[in-house]
Amino acid sequence: MTHLALTNISKNYGDNIVVDDFNLDVMKGEFVSFLGPSGCGKTTTLRMIAGFEIPTTGQVIIDDADITQKAPNQRNVGMVFQAYALFPNMTVAQNIGFGLQIRRESPDVIKQRVTEMLALIHLEQKGDSYPNQLSGGQQQRVALARALANRPQVLLLDEPLSALDAKIRVSLRAEIRAIQKKLGITAIYVTHDQEEALSISDRIVVMYDGRIEQVGTPFEIYNFPSTAFVASFVGTLNTTEAEVVDPKAQTLRLEGQQLQAADGLEGRRAGEKVRIAIRPERFNFASDERKDNVLDCTVENITFLGSIVRVQVGLGSQKFYMDTFNNPFLELPEIGSKTQITCSREAVLVLSH
Amino acid sequence: MRRGGNAWSWFWMILGILYFFLPLLATFLFSLRARLGVLSFQAYQDVFTDPDFIYNFGYSVVWGVLTIIVGILIFVPTAYLIRLRLPRFRASVEFITLLPFVIPAIVFVFGLVRTFSQPPFLIVDSPALLVAGYTVLSMPYMYRAVDTGLRSIDVRTLTEAAQSLGAGWGTILFRVILPNIRVAILSGAFLSFAIVIGELILAQYLVKPAFAPYLAYLIQQRAYEPAAMAVISFALTWAFLGIIQFVGRGGAQAQIGGGR
Repeated sequence: MTHLALTNISKNYGDNIVVDDFNLDVMKGEFVSFLGPSGCGKTTTLRMIAGFEIPTTGQVIIDDADITQKAPNQRNVGMVFQAYALFPNMTVAQNIGFGLQIRRESPDVIKQRVTEMLALIHLEQKGDSYPNQLSGGQQQRVALARALANRPQVLLLDEPLSALDAKIRVSLRAEIRAIQKKLGITAIYVTHDQEEALSISDRIVVMYDGRIEQVGTPFEIYNFPSTAFVASFVGTLNTTEAEVVDPKAQTLRLEGQQLQAADGLEGRRAGEKVRIAIRPERFNFASDERKDNVLDCTVENITFLGSIVRVQVGLGSQKFYMDTFNNPFLELPEIGSKTQITCSREAVLVLSH
Repeated sequence: MRRGGNAWSWFWMILGILYFFLPLLATFLFSLRARLGVLSFQAYQDVFTDPDFIYNFGYSVVWGVLTIIVGILIFVPTAYLIRLRLPRFRASVEFITLLPFVIPAIVFVFGLVRTFSQPPFLIVDSPALLVAGYTVLSMPYMYRAVDTGLRSIDVRTLTEAAQSLGAGWGTILFRVILPNIRVAILSGAFLSFAIVIGELILAQYLVKPAFAPYLAYLIQQRAYEPAAMAVISFALTWAFLGIIQFVGRGGAQAQIGGGR
C-alpha cells in the first residue's frame, strides 16, 4: 500500500526547472534513496516533502492526506540534516525531547521516550552532554533520535553522512538502516554516494538534471542501467559506441571485432550506431575462461586498488577497464603485451540514450 | 622582530596609554581634593548622597533597560528575518542602521519634537518618545551585534530543524535562536546602555530626567563632584565591557557540527 506519493511534482525558479515531473510511490516501511550528482534536484524534492519548498505543480500525499500546502511544522515528518542542526543551547536529552515538548507531552512521557531513544542510538550516558561535547558521528545519531522521537510518518535524511569520515560513514549508515528496519518507518534518503545508496536502500531513484532516470532495486540499477547516465554514474563502467550488425541475432561490431549481446537491439537497424556498456568486473582474461565474446586488445596500464586490480586495455582507439580480484598468486600480463579479454553476452548492455 | 622595531612599538604603546590615562588620572586626583588640604573621597560621598543624582541616574538606568528591551524586540526579529528570508534587503537595512552616525543628535531631536508635538502624534511629553529616540541611537550597535551573532550560527538549518519538530515562529525565536545569540545580544545591550547613560541632547530637549543633563548642570554649579561623576561613568563603562568579555569568554555559543 502506498504510504508516500509524489505525483507530477515540479519545481521551477523562474525559467530554471529544478525538478521536472517527478512521480514516485513509496510503500510503508520502505527505504528509498534519491541518488544523483549535485544540482540534480534530489534535495529540492526532499525539501518539498518536508515542506521547506512548495511544489510549482503536483502533490505530496502521505497516508492518503494531501500535505502539499501544509506548513513544515504541521506535517509530522522527521528530518535529519547534513549539518546535524542540533540546538547548541540544549543538552542531548533536551534536543531529543524538544519535539515532544512542542506537543505538550507530559514530563514523564518525554523522559521515557528520551530514554528509549538514547538506548536506540546507544548513547545512554550522553543525555546531559551538549552537542559540542560529542563527535560528529554521535551528533548525527542524536539528530536521528531527535527526528524519530516524535514518531514521524516519514523520515527524511538529507546527505546525513557527508560530513563524516569514511569509516564512520560505513558504520553509521548500517546503524541508520537497522534502526529504520526495526521501527518500520518509511524513509527517504538523499545522497550522491552510490555505495551508500546501493548498500542500504530497498529502492533507488537515480536523478539527473531534475528528472528521474531510473527507479529500481540496487541490483537492478547496478546490473541493468536503463540509460547512459545511470550506467556511468552507478559503478565504474566501460561505455562506447558500437555498430549494429544484425539486430535479430543481437550482434554488433566494435573496433572491427564482433560483439554478441543478449538483448536490447530490438527495433534497431543494421549499420545504426548504439551506445553499449560493459562493467569492468564482467571481463576476465580469455586464458582463464572463454565466454561468448573474446576481444583482442593491448595491456596499457595496471592499477592496484587494494582488493581489486584494474587493468586498462586498448581496443583499437577505445580504452576499456577490466577489474579482477587481487590475490598474491595473480598472474598479470606485461604492460604493452597483446592479450585477449572475454565477457558473456549478458554483460553487454545496450543503453537507451 | 628587530630590537629597534620592538623599542618603537613600546614607545608608541606607552605614549598612547599616557595620552588616554593622564587626563583620567588628573580628573581622579582632582576629584579627591574636595576637602581642603586632604585627599579624600568627599566628592564621591556627596555624589552618592545627593538625591538628585539618585533620581537622575535611576531614571537613566530605567531608560537604558527599556531601550534594551525595545531594541531586542525590534532588532532581533528584524535581523533574523533579513538573514532567513530577505537577504537582498540586508545592504539597505545596514545602511539605515548607520544613519544615527550621520544625522546629528540635535537634528534628530528637533525632528522628534516637531513631529510629535502636534496631533495626531501628540506624544512629545511621553517617556516613550525618549526611549524610542534612544532605541534609534543604539540601532548601529544593537542591530550589528545581533547580526554578527546570527552569522555565527546556521540560522536556516536550525530554523528548519525546529520546524520539522513542530515548532512555530515564536518557539523558534525564543527557544532556539535567542539563546544561541545571547552573548551578541548582551554586547549590544551593554553598548546601548552606555549610549543611554552618556546621552545628553535627547534628554535635555525632551526635558526628561537623566544622568547626562544632570552632569551638565552640576558642572556649572560644582567643581569636584562633576569630576567624581566623570570617573564613576568611566568605571561603569569599563565594568560593562568587562562583563561582556567575561560572558563572551565563557563559550556560551557552541558551533554546529558538519560542513557543506
